[in-house]
Amino acid sequence: MEILLSALVSGLLLGLVLALVALGLTIIFGVMDIVNFAHGEFLMVGMYTGLLTAQGLGIDPLLTLPVAGAVGFLLGVVCYFGFIKFLLRGPMVAQLLGTFGLMLFLRNLALLIFGSEDRALHHGLLVGKSFDIGMGVIVSATKLAAAGLSVAAFVAVWLFMNRTRIGKALTATALNRSAARYMGIPTERMNALAWGAGGASVTIAGALIVNFWSVNPFIGLLFTMIAFAIVALGGFGSVPGAFFAGLVVGLIMEIPGFWDFFMFTFNADWMAKVPMTSFKYMWVYLAYFVIMVVRPRGLFGWKH
Amino acid sequence: METLKSALDFSDFPRLDLVVAGSLAILFLIFPVFPHSSFAMATMIQFLMFSLYGMGWNTIGGYGGQVDLGKAQYVGIGAYTTTVMLVRWDIPFWFSMPVGVCFAVLWSFVLGYPLFRLKGHYFAIATIATSLVLKDLFEVWDFVGAARGLEISPIKFPPPDFLRLIFKEDVYYYDVILGFFFVGILYMNWFRKSRLGFQLRAIKDNEEVARSLGINVHWAKIKTYAIATAFVSVVGSFHACYIKNIEPEDTMSLDISILIALMAMLGGAGSLWGPIIGAGILIPLKSYLKEWLGATAGLIGIDLILYALIIMVISAFEPRGIWGIVQKVRRRRQ
Amino acid sequence: MALLELERVTKNFGGLMANHEISFAVGKGELLGLIGPNGAGKTTLFNCISGAYPVTSGRIFFDGEDITALKAHEVARRGLARTFQVYVASGDLTVIENVMVGCFMHTRSRSRARAQAGEVLKDLGIHDLSTALLNELPVASQKRVSMATAIATQPRLLLLDEVAAGLNPGEIEEIMGSIRHVHEELGMTVMLIEHVMELVMKISHRVIVLDYGQKIAEGAPEAITRDPAVIKAYLGERYAREHGAV
Repeated sequence: MEILLSALVSGLLLGLVLALVALGLTIIFGVMDIVNFAHGEFLMVGMYTGLLTAQGLGIDPLLTLPVAGAVGFLLGVVCYFGFIKFLLRGPMVAQLLGTFGLMLFLRNLALLIFGSEDRALHHGLLVGKSFDIGMGVIVSATKLAAAGLSVAAFVAVWLFMNRTRIGKALTATALNRSAARYMGIPTERMNALAWGAGGASVTIAGALIVNFWSVNPFIGLLFTMIAFAIVALGGFGSVPGAFFAGLVVGLIMEIPGFWDFFMFTFNADWMAKVPMTSFKYMWVYLAYFVIMVVRPRGLFGWKH
Repeated sequence: METLKSALDFSDFPRLDLVVAGSLAILFLIFPVFPHSSFAMATMIQFLMFSLYGMGWNTIGGYGGQVDLGKAQYVGIGAYTTTVMLVRWDIPFWFSMPVGVCFAVLWSFVLGYPLFRLKGHYFAIATIATSLVLKDLFEVWDFVGAARGLEISPIKFPPPDFLRLIFKEDVYYYDVILGFFFVGILYMNWFRKSRLGFQLRAIKDNEEVARSLGINVHWAKIKTYAIATAFVSVVGSFHACYIKNIEPEDTMSLDISILIALMAMLGGAGSLWGPIIGAGILIPLKSYLKEWLGATAGLIGIDLILYALIIMVISAFEPRGIWGIVQKVRRRRQ
Repeated sequence: MALLELERVTKNFGGLMANHEISFAVGKGELLGLIGPNGAGKTTLFNCISGAYPVTSGRIFFDGEDITALKAHEVARRGLARTFQVYVASGDLTVIENVMVGCFMHTRSRSRARAQAGEVLKDLGIHDLSTALLNELPVASQKRVSMATAIATQPRLLLLDEVAAGLNPGEIEEIMGSIRHVHEELGMTVMLIEHVMELVMKISHRVIVLDYGQKIAEGAPEAITRDPAVIKAYLGERYAREHGAV
């Protein structure tokens, strides 16, 4: 029983953080219909930022979030004005390959600067500690904190998009670009803001994740694909969609845990032979494929 | 008969193009005769291989306008079919290669039917997803050697072996791939003038209008996807016999898929010469950059950075690729 | 038997009733005009007939066959072609290549397609534009090209969607000539959506009027212009009342 609960809790917590990862992607897509292949690389940048700030300044990892956020915002805006802006003029083929180029660029730049070894956080207020939340389930403190902060971030973004003037302008641009422009909303600036906000949320997620996941320059692609799956499931452009879909995908990634549970419960030895851990990501990719074919709009999507 | 005539008929190209193409063709033919380093030979072989990959991609990605970023899985199917059949049952290349094509094409139909319900970036991401899934599967499947991959040992199959395509000297590989290259060009020449080629271009223009002209859009896309797959699988089989050592990370990674798409995009997607031009620039660039820069310790990654910058510049400022620039200049002159 | 028959065709978009129980028939060799104020549902009706949209209810018969559930390309293959009011084209194909796509519906051979396309272009007087790109052409020529492409599929019924929109009087004359040619010399049944009244009234045998998704009148052009319901639809109830039509 503990196995099942453990897997559930683990999945949900992971899901909350993954939802934050996907949030940036869905905002950018909602506002300007471009899919950012370099999204995972932004995450990687966030992870490195968090790691290096914590180690360099000797402060607690959780305090690095503002730094990571600032870096992410800056990165997003710079990418927009320096590159994405031009990309938008061209056909979609070019846009896809363009953000892909950005991904390769960031990835190899990181390889050049940081080298290819894994790096992880070893010191911090919560690193290495865990809580026992009853019924024999043990959760790592960092995961719990990350999940909690992620929820806070979601609430913050939702409030921003719906209660502040700028946020509403952003939402308006996402819903109907030309109408927003006619109403005097500067769409160019909205684009940049979307990239800034999207970048910031994913780098913050990165700074959270680096507390329990080691970083190397190649980690981006995996998270990009996970983010795509979440956004597809939740509906491209939907913030609440990203939240719930994130939870679902987090659970999907815990399938090895569930598998173990079934294996022990039913005493099915054949299940041990299946290398489920290797398939963890495969389920995510499959989920994307199935969702897109069966319900392209996703759970909450309103585009296409 | 008319098919063959059409394949051989390049008359709708301006004379200059034909002269250049003809000269290059002759140069390629006599290249082995000139003194060359083994590095240059290897680069030439890679160039020809990637031209073919690019040509295949160009059918669905260029003429069809459907950006497919999952071609690497078919490289894998071709490569693994040939290798497994050789290593386990001693079946030579010229039999195993067509079998690989059959598997690849079959799989492409299975995927194509649901895939082409999607459009644009949804489609592109889905192609990536399917390719990654297959790669992951191969990495844990013992029958194909899992992550370690498979090896073709020249000891077990002593060269030169034309049936099994195992040679000690690269020049024989060069000749074979050059042969495929010319066949590929002829095929593409036929393709772009064929009914399917026109249908694809109409689809790329405007799908709704294409439908109103009696074109079964879904089916046309699936057929073309299969053609692209066949190209890729053939070269994949060749790749296995040439490199003699394959593993999922090498042959089926996302980087390979992107590279394939890039060939055509840089040179000019949707044109006959595009993929060849693209490969002609990118492959030597990649090889020589790696040689000069990569060797220096700590500088691994610079060649890829430059690479990435090229991609970024092309996609932002000249998405029609080099051939697109040529066309633009020509039209302005008219 | 009529070539095209609509039986209470209804198209509902969520809450918006674009076409409501529309019924009429088109006889072989007729030239039928479809008019109505903007938003009346004319193009929607074309889309339903050609299979671009699925109908919500009702049936459509083409030469006796029920084509209601058929997909757009299947409808086209049965001999029903159409033009589009506006469309975005990526502009890769030249004029003659465009028309060849239509010819390819009946042949596999490129040379034959090319020859046929040339004939069609000559027929419509735009053969000299063969090698131009669509988006380099003025509107009037673009319309002609899309007509040519549709004709290239050798349809029995041709649906023309506002081919005269945006044309000056001289161009309107020209396109009228083309439509007459297609109808009389090539023997195609034609149905056209138009806002340019002089064109519709001059060449149609019969006219159907739509307003707010419903058919409000049907008959010969002269009768239509005097029909009170039609006047009301175009000029408003007040005008109609003031001028004694209601």
